[in-house]
Amino acid sequence: MKEFNTIRTRANRLDSPDKATGEAIYVDDISKPGMLFGALLQSPHAHAKVLSIDTTEAKKLPGVKAVLTSKDVGTIPYGVSPARYDETVFVTDKVRYVGDEIAAVAATSLDIALKAVELIRVEYEILPAVFTVEDAIKEDAPQIHEKYKGNLTAEVHQEFGDVEKGLKESDIIKTTTVKNKRQDGAFLEMQGCIAEFDRRGNLTLTSGTQTPHYVQRTVAMVLGMDIGKVRVKKPYLGAGFGIKAAANPMELACCFLAKETNKPVKMNYTREQVFMFCRARHQFTHTITTGAKKDGTLVALKHECTLDGGAYSSFGIATVYYAGSLLAGPYKLPNMSYEGFRVYNNKPACGAQRGHGAVIARAAFEQQLDMIAEELGIDPMELRIKNMMSRGDTTCNDLNMSSFGMSECIDAVREGSDWDRKKGNMPIGKGIGMACGFFVSGAGFPIYRSDTYHGTVMIKLTEDGGTALVYTASAEIGQGSDTAFAMIAAEALGVPLSAIRLASGDTDMGVDLGAYSSRQTLMTGHATKDAAEHVKSQVLAVLAEKLDTPVEDMDIKNGFIEFKNQTLDFSELRTTYIKEHRGWIDNPDSEKLTFNEASRIAYLEKGTIVGTGKYKPVFLGGKYKGAAVGTSPAYGCSAQVAEVTVDMGTGQVIIDNVTDAHDCGKAINMTSVEGQMEGSVSMGMGEAMHEEVIFDDKGNVLNNDLAEYKLVTAMDMPKVKSIVVESDEPNGPFGAKEVGEGAIMPTIPAILNAVYDAAGVRIYELPLTPERVYTAIQEYKERKGAA
Amino acid sequence: MLLPEFELHEPVSIEDALKLKKKHGKDARLMAGGTDVLVLLKKKVIFTDTIISLLQIKELSQIKESGNEVVIGACATMAQLSKSSVIKEKFGALKSSCDNLGSHLIRNRATIGGNCCNASPAGDTMPSLMIYDAKVMIESTDGKREVSIKNFFKGPGVTDLAIHEILTGFKLPIPPKNSGAHYIQLGKRRSSEINVVNVGSFLEYDPDTKTIINSRIALGSVAATPIRAQKAEELIKGKPAKEDTFYTAGETARKEDCKPIDDFRGSAAYRQAMIGVLTKRTLQASFEQAQ
Ligand SMILES: Cc1cc2nc3c(=O)[nH]c(=O)nc-3n(C[C@H](O)[C@H](O)[C@H](O)COP(=O)(O)OP(=O)(O)OC[C@H]3O[C@@H](n4cnc5c(N)ncnc54)[C@H](O)[C@@H]3O)c2cc1C
Repeated sequence: MKEFNTIRTRANRLDSPDKATGEAIYVDDISKPGMLFGALLQSPHAHAKVLSIDTTEAKKLPGVKAVLTSKDVGTIPYGVSPARYDETVFVTDKVRYVGDEIAAVAATSLDIALKAVELIRVEYEILPAVFTVEDAIKEDAPQIHEKYKGNLTAEVHQEFGDVEKGLKESDIIKTTTVKNKRQDGAFLEMQGCIAEFDRRGNLTLTSGTQTPHYVQRTVAMVLGMDIGKVRVKKPYLGAGFGIKAAANPMELACCFLAKETNKPVKMNYTREQVFMFCRARHQFTHTITTGAKKDGTLVALKHECTLDGGAYSSFGIATVYYAGSLLAGPYKLPNMSYEGFRVYNNKPACGAQRGHGAVIARAAFEQQLDMIAEELGIDPMELRIKNMMSRGDTTCNDLNMSSFGMSECIDAVREGSDWDRKKGNMPIGKGIGMACGFFVSGAGFPIYRSDTYHGTVMIKLTEDGGTALVYTASAEIGQGSDTAFAMIAAEALGVPLSAIRLASGDTDMGVDLGAYSSRQTLMTGHATKDAAEHVKSQVLAVLAEKLDTPVEDMDIKNGFIEFKNQTLDFSELRTTYIKEHRGWIDNPDSEKLTFNEASRIAYLEKGTIVGTGKYKPVFLGGKYKGAAVGTSPAYGCSAQVAEVTVDMGTGQVIIDNVTDAHDCGKAINMTSVEGQMEGSVSMGMGEAMHEEVIFDDKGNVLNNDLAEYKLVTAMDMPKVKSIVVESDEPNGPFGAKEVGEGAIMPTIPAILNAVYDAAGVRIYELPLTPERVYTAIQEYKERKGAA
Repeated sequence: MLLPEFELHEPVSIEDALKLKKKHGKDARLMAGGTDVLVLLKKKVIFTDTIISLLQIKELSQIKESGNEVVIGACATMAQLSKSSVIKEKFGALKSSCDNLGSHLIRNRATIGGNCCNASPAGDTMPSLMIYDAKVMIESTDGKREVSIKNFFKGPGVTDLAIHEILTGFKLPIPPKNSGAHYIQLGKRRSSEINVVNVGSFLEYDPDTKTIINSRIALGSVAATPIRAQKAEELIKGKPAKEDTFYTAGETARKEDCKPIDDFRGSAAYRQAMIGVLTKRTLQASFEQAQ
């Protein structure tokens, strides 16, 4: 096996010291001379015509510097996917949800800005509103967008193989309907931004975003500016989970306010506004029919799904495709059909959240696998192993598993949880359950169709030699990507991690599509490796010439140059280097030529050494409509076992243990991989157990704070045993692929299956509140009593 | 959403606080830990431009044992009560209420007086105070009075306190021998929870006849205020202290003593069912303690 020096270790994260000392700078820590504060006027109604907007009084308030509406900023449509640009910065004719943006104010203080917002007079004509999928698709339902009839954002109709035939040939068929509830991203840092124009008309937007590149493009498009004149910078970020993966209306309003006032303008969402803006996980309703043979072989899957989308598309088109395409694995499944509908209504828009589109479909399907296993008398682990794909397999919808340590994951959790001893031997009220899952390692295409590289990286060696500066436009959002790329650069260049300095999150540094779809480690990682190799080859080329030795006979490792010919005389180069540092007392005296010396010599010969790297996936297959959503250069996969205690009297569920195995290809940083695994379990648990955004009948969020929106607390978190399974991904840098989202896939179904094992009840609606579990137990008792 | 501006008074004696309250009347709000007041002000549920903080009044945060009773100052915090040895030893159900309210941060600020004056039907300390038969100590510039906790709550956010009065503390009689008490809160997660239902029970039994001499059962989150399950209490008086009896008490409490409502935290039906389960469980646990 290949030896590594930096990757696959538990190197300390680059950002730990800043974060541990509280010195890390986030958007809200930044203040600029003369900075103004912005505030938004957002609709109090879910659906209403805007008859008039009167800003006179607001403008008169001392301290107010600008009040903008759509009359001032225009109505250029934007959104996430160009196929559905259905938003404008400020509404023109009508508001579509409680929170729709109507106007923005910039003032010398936030107090004044908020006061001014209250002084804006808007005349509304209330329109009938719809809040559910069922109501929105009714024939006479109020229409939310002129352009998208029937309140449909998008619909998908796919069939691979012959499902009807497959079902006919099946010995056992199960149909269930499973639904979840709308989630909130609930990241610690609320969205915030600062926009600033310089005197030459260049705009810098400092924003808490996962995708500086997409924000840059949207801002340029909506403000009508050259992309080159817009710079988006991301400081430290308190997470995003998908919600911050596109430009938001506040960022756009902020840029317009800065343009209007010629002053820096800062804006922030409050927690309430985070809930209002939403863009998090949709509410899905999946009806799934699975057919299998007596021996457990899966034959066919028929799948229908509706997505409760909210007022705008956001990522919705991608979501509705992902919800279908990612059921084609990780099991061999020759026949699959999918009907998906993403429906508009008068609630905040949903978008992408960790495990984009696929989490609830997975929960429904993995629960069915357990039902089939039980009926056939097969152990759930065995059923899964029997049907599992392996490396090199391709799904019926063209997803290729170029590496796939899924059976290893199952073995790991089977042993790690002591499954064979526990399964079937637990008392009433205690249960154990398992599930599997997989996820893309980066979307195959940018969200706007383009041949662009998905990531470019530039590495410059310091002229004095010895340090490599890595520049990437990728987004460190707390997941540890900066550290991963520094480690990849160090490994590829052959220097210690301490020789790397890295800067990221700035569109001036190149193109990077950002932190979403679990793409950065693989894609930005590739570009980083490519750039490092480019730099290395330039340094070695100079040495080769100077020492008259072929490049193939030398290498850089751990900061030293390794020559095949160990007696090669490089003293002349050393003398040159030492002359450059006359009077310095720490000149090299090592047996080997150092990287410092080599890189200085290279500079003296060639000038500044700069390496560039780039990455985009090759064509990934799939010629059918929608093939772009689901195809990926690689797939991460995982298995989990959950152990629970169910209080049979109250329905309260406690998760006692989770054993989690994930195949991330080669782990760049072991600790970060485990961190993502544990974070995924906690987020999956929250969704399974108690998170849900609740609305009143007027479209207001009732639980718009973190007291009533119930995240998992430290007290609820079980012990998580994380087992990292390392396959070797041929399409990944040093064999690496994703962990950030795939790891959440099995959590919910593993819990559902464990609750069944404990209490004998199948639950088809999330979250598993005590009340829902209690009701299911009561119904079960009544059924049993009646029987 | 910003916290509105207000004038803050920090009197150091009860006398000064009472004078201030009298002067400002209903325009001023009293504040202890502020974990309710500040949240409500920020959310614009309540309005005031004058706040009188009680935290500088030393005697209000004392917990004192004197003779047959314990006196708990209104400003004693949850954290302080959880750690107090007399509460730990003699008032286990109250300790458990305090242990479970909010999070560490909240428990360091939240006071028992604030919890009662906020008078949320789901408040954590109230059922425990009710089962220990606490007396509420009240003062105004006109003098002092006491009222049984049973009669203190008048509705959500409404208490027996008049505008110019301050709650200064609680008197809790030391529980007799052969008694026990237990408190259970039921929510969706294990910490920082707002109760779906909460129940406290107190039980005294006669070790010779093994019958129940006396019991107090308090139900939270199932009415406009925390309430006593009087029918259940009466029913089990003199009955044998055993599982059947506790079950009957639960059934009575569920069917006859409470009238919960639906809200987004839980349905009436579930709340009602849980009153049965938790009443039985708290009585059972109280009995085990009493033995
Ligand atoms: C995140 C969070 C979690 C919470 N979790 C819980 C929970 O789990 N269980 C629970 O029961 N509560 C909970 N609460 C609510 C709150 O913390 C408690 O009600 C707390 O006990 C209030 O005490 P305080 O000292 O902060 O009251 P304050 O906010 O200072 O006052 C509350 C009310 O009482 C009045 N008041 C205070 N002291 C006196 C006095 N001596 N005389 C007369 N009037 C007075 C005030 O004017 C005000 O109306 C939570 C709150 C938050 C913010």
